[in-house]
Amino acid sequence: MNIQEFIDNFAAQLDDTDPEAITAETKFKELEDWSSLTALSIIAMIDDEYNIIVKGNDIINSVTIQDLFNVVEKRILDPKR
Amino acid sequence: MSQLTINNVRIAGMSACVPATVEDNRTLPIYKDEAEALKVIASTGIERHHKVEEGTTASDLTVKAVEALLDKMGWQPEDVDCFAYVCTSRDYIAPQTACVLQDRLKLRHDCCVFDLPFGCSGWVYGMSIVSSLMSHGTLKRALLVAAETNTQNRNQRDTTVRPLFGDAATVTALEYDPEKSHPMNFMFGVDGSGFDAVWAPYGGMRNPVTVEALEEKEVSPGVFRRGVDMIVNGMDVFGFAIKQPPRSLKELIETFNIDVETVDLLLLHQANKFIDEKIRKAVKIPAEKTPYCLEEYGNVTSASIPLTMVSRCGDRLAGQELHCVACGFGVGLAWASMEFYAGDVKMVDVIDY
Repeated sequence: MNIQEFIDNFAAQLDDTDPEAITAETKFKELEDWSSLTALSIIAMIDDEYNIIVKGNDIINSVTIQDLFNVVEKRILDPKR
Repeated sequence: MSQLTINNVRIAGMSACVPATVEDNRTLPIYKDEAEALKVIASTGIERHHKVEEGTTASDLTVKAVEALLDKMGWQPEDVDCFAYVCTSRDYIAPQTACVLQDRLKLRHDCCVFDLPFGCSGWVYGMSIVSSLMSHGTLKRALLVAAETNTQNRNQRDTTVRPLFGDAATVTALEYDPEKSHPMNFMFGVDGSGFDAVWAPYGGMRNPVTVEALEEKEVSPGVFRRGVDMIVNGMDVFGFAIKQPPRSLKELIETFNIDVETVDLLLLHQANKFIDEKIRKAVKIPAEKTPYCLEEYGNVTSASIPLTMVSRCGDRLAGQELHCVACGFGVGLAWASMEFYAGDVKMVDVIDY
């Protein structure tokens, strides 16, 4: 999986944020647009695109989009994690 | 795979009772403005829910629903051979609520009564357990209650649950009938590693009630809870609900060779619209075959599926036989799917308490 594609998929879940402004280093929970509902869209997106179900704690413990990407990537390599 | 087929039992009647008080999500005091409320409504599909007054319990709603159904069916209380009460909002820690209800409903002293403390998967589990007992042929008539007063065990200052959950009681009358019945087919599932995805940590034997467990705390901005209140970890439940129910339904369809084209009704636990639509699309059943009642009643846990049948499919279920597939999923984490046929069912319209 590649990070730019993940960022694009992530940005597509945000209603009012300019996708261009989203990078790997974006602290997503600080976005104006972020809400508990966005979190659910992100979980659904990761399931649809990568066939991985991330936990609530994965979202809570991730600060940047890169952090979340790393979680998904690890999970793909080792589904038991 | 745990699968089960039961013969010779049919659904004979259904009823439901909800509290008269309605709480509208548009005007809940927990949102900063109406736009925020509308956003939540748009994504969950839940516009309002019914809520009991203090002092009213799930068993009170149940008595009303049972009395109306017996009346409609022309059954006397002494005709009932088995009475199962699916509910977690019990009247007392002991005894089982079903025992108290035996006396209130004037059921026979030799009636087979018991509680089944299931949550959202409870109607499907209850159908499997009660129908299985009846299939032996000596228990001819049974009542399966699925009832819950979610507003009583969730904190009203917990913004993560208040807009979503409501109160209701439903009754399904079952009849031993070797002539008119089709087999019912079931698949079960559980993942106890998710026990804390939906749970009430205090009040059981593991963490008994203490003074501290009764103190209300702000656990995150705007979210207040006591240790004895139900916690719903939305993200974990969501991740579970978009994965396991579709898998379970697909297992059911495959195991029992169900031709999806012939399914008339897909009856889903009313979790929220976003989740349920994902499940529906995964099993490729059209929207018009998938009724919802969550906009009006919210998530009423084990009562969700039967309340959908009573409030949205009453006329159809009273008529020609329908091919139905149902899936209940949630707290446990537990889930169950079933295939059944229902027609010529005596349906009582939703009653207000």
